[in-house]
Amino acid sequence: MNAHLPHTVPTTLNHFAPGAHVRVLDVAGPLAVRRRLLEMGLCPGVALEVLRRAPLGDPLEVRVRGYLLSLRLDQATQVTVAAIASVTSVAV
Amino acid sequence: MTNAAAATPSAIHTIALGGNPNCGKTTLFNALTGLRQKVANYPGITVEKKTGRCTLANGNVIEVLDLPGTYSLVPNSPDEQVAMEVLRGLRADTPPPDVIVAVVDASNLARNLLLVSQLMELRRPMVVALNMSDIASRRGLPVNAALLAEELGMPVIPVIGHKSVGIPELKAAIQQAVIPRLPAWTLPGALGQAVTDLGSTLTRMPTDERERTARRLLSHETAADLTAARLDPVIVEKISTITLDPGAVMQADIEARYRWIDGVVARAVQGSGFKAGPNLTDRVDAVLVHRVFGLGIFALIMAILFVSIFWLADPLMGMCQDAVVWLGKLITDGMSGGMLKSLIQDGVFAGVGGVVVFVPQIALLFLFLAVLEDSGYLARAAFLMDRLLAKVGLHGRSFIPLLSSFACAIPGVMATRTIENRRERLATILVAPFMSCSARLPVYGLLIGAFFGPAMFAGGPYASYTWLIQGGIMLACYLLGIVAAAVTAYGCKVILGRGEVTPFILELPSYKLPQVGEVVRQMWTNTAKFLTKAGTIIFCLSIVLWAMAYFPRLPSERILEIANQHNATALVIPVDASVEQEEEIRGARADDIAVAVAGAQLEHSISGRIGHAIEPLIAPLGYDWKMGVGLIAAFAAREVFVGHLGIVYSLGDPEEDSDKIEKLQETIRRDTYSDGRPVWTPLVAVSLLVWFVLAMQCISTVAVVKRETGGWSWPLFQLVYMNALAYLGALATYQIGSRLFGG
Repeated sequence: MNAHLPHTVPTTLNHFAPGAHVRVLDVAGPLAVRRRLLEMGLCPGVALEVLRRAPLGDPLEVRVRGYLLSLRLDQATQVTVAAIASVTSVAV
Repeated sequence: MTNAAAATPSAIHTIALGGNPNCGKTTLFNALTGLRQKVANYPGITVEKKTGRCTLANGNVIEVLDLPGTYSLVPNSPDEQVAMEVLRGLRADTPPPDVIVAVVDASNLARNLLLVSQLMELRRPMVVALNMSDIASRRGLPVNAALLAEELGMPVIPVIGHKSVGIPELKAAIQQAVIPRLPAWTLPGALGQAVTDLGSTLTRMPTDERERTARRLLSHETAADLTAARLDPVIVEKISTITLDPGAVMQADIEARYRWIDGVVARAVQGSGFKAGPNLTDRVDAVLVHRVFGLGIFALIMAILFVSIFWLADPLMGMCQDAVVWLGKLITDGMSGGMLKSLIQDGVFAGVGGVVVFVPQIALLFLFLAVLEDSGYLARAAFLMDRLLAKVGLHGRSFIPLLSSFACAIPGVMATRTIENRRERLATILVAPFMSCSARLPVYGLLIGAFFGPAMFAGGPYASYTWLIQGGIMLACYLLGIVAAAVTAYGCKVILGRGEVTPFILELPSYKLPQVGEVVRQMWTNTAKFLTKAGTIIFCLSIVLWAMAYFPRLPSERILEIANQHNATALVIPVDASVEQEEEIRGARADDIAVAVAGAQLEHSISGRIGHAIEPLIAPLGYDWKMGVGLIAAFAAREVFVGHLGIVYSLGDPEEDSDKIEKLQETIRRDTYSDGRPVWTPLVAVSLLVWFVLAMQCISTVAVVKRETGGWSWPLFQLVYMNALAYLGALATYQIGSRLFGG
């Protein structure tokens, strides 16, 4: 999986604007929150599409494994991701 | 399928439907059971237990249990906890099912299969009901049921719940359910080794359960599992010496499952991938959660909801109450006065009226909630509003309960069920009654009208601004409630949450057209639950309040005295009066006496005595005993305050006659203490307004909070907290006000 990762600086999910395609590198945080994020499919290696921020700026919405998930920026800071350069590489 | 064993059909007595939220489980449950279902609560908690009956092809009638929707068997909410406990056989009240029907949303296959992977480990016969295959196909990702069945090692039956497609096939498959073979979700490297090592020491467990148990122990799953594992103290000791990061084991476990799932999905889904262009949900979302339109449409939907439960329900509520009063009169008409008549009319029927009056509001609110939830919009509403509410420690889903509470806190508190996190739900319930409900309006109207109305400013420089002053005070009442709610919720976050961050991880489900049958069903079950559970308490407490105003009776010599006082002034009957006119004048005299007797009776009753007794307590707020009686009576419902003041001032009940409101306003403005000071001043009115904004004065709400929180501790805390706050607020208002403006 790591071979596909582009040479971008890993950063956290909250830094990405709508339209960004990213790949999850790691999930941190308190055990229960981390477990739920992983269970919802945000495992290392999975591709995410940042769809939008709520009109008031928080939470944000992503597409993961073909469904829509929203999470507060607080949770997004626990998800380390790297940008995917080309959109065509996004698959389920 | 070498190790798969078929369940003997005759042995099936119960089946359970398990699945993720939004997977269409309830629709499938309805299709399986038809109308043969009942809704209760799991003992001691407020999680709904839905059961129904279903006849299999062989004629056997089996019980179907609809488990709460859950993303995982490691619970995150009371709902998920119950689902886990039932499936693991940890609940004494609900034995584990003979067959598990895993409901899977084909359009969201990967994430739905995570729960399936956990269900497979329970070693019970299983069947997969594959729902929403049509949506998956439309998105260019058709699921091949036969291939999926092969992959999972159990029957996979495509169903369309709301069209009852696939139901006979599913029933047949339930009879042939098998215990699926277990894929190897081995953890990599050192983690895998640690799991194997610990597993080999669990000699008391069946061999095929050892590794699974070890994995769950090492990833620190719930305490309930530890006891369920019947562990040797030696092993418990051993676990405590393992310095493995539980998070690493947990993450490796979930990753291993998703690796397996990705393989299954790749083989069972035969589409080429996403169809070009956005799907229906994307197109709808482009508008509904749009930066600008999103909030506008949200405001519009909320306005419709608010107007409906506020104004649309109003005439219906009036009709309900009138119907009950009419029925009460019909029954008591033939009776001569006395206690039985009063009990039936003012106790029983007023109590029933106090319950049914809420039915239109509750039914309408739950109709709206069902439509919003089933369509998928409720999650978007939470998404839109979360930021605002998160600041004070609430959740996006707190918005609709709080908005509903402006009409009435009862449906508002009931609507908090959609909030998963217990702390956020309790905080929302705690602050909901701070929203100024419609029952406070008559009180606000009486006080603002009496002391800030045209009569107060007539001729003065502010005369033409009366409406502005009145509107401003009314608005201030609403704002005070909102501020009190925000501060209280924030306090809850700091104290109860100990600064801990509650996560917001919310699925935004695909939009669907709500099913009429399902919407009506939800509306009906919620209304019925209110009537049976909260209704009983409200009814009983209404009888108690009636008795407090009825006993002890006024001695007959006092009644005679009052009558004599009235009769001391001669009746003026014009000489040329007709018989009817004379009767009318005599009737008016009799009415005056009756009203005066009613006032004296109330003062003489337990309520009246309490009013006198608490006078020293409420005097610092600027209140006299008459207001005390009104405050006691307002515990039945706030608007009763107005009616009771009418009776205390011997004007009769103003609720029966709108002219009497103005008369009551005039009377209270003129009321004086024995030393000539006015009893009521604008400051007293403001102090009362503060009291009514902040006080928890509604036994109906207390009853509903008791029901919704599953115990007396939270409603009692709420009662004490809100009334203490109201007391302090009114005290500060009156004491500071009288020093600034000299009373």
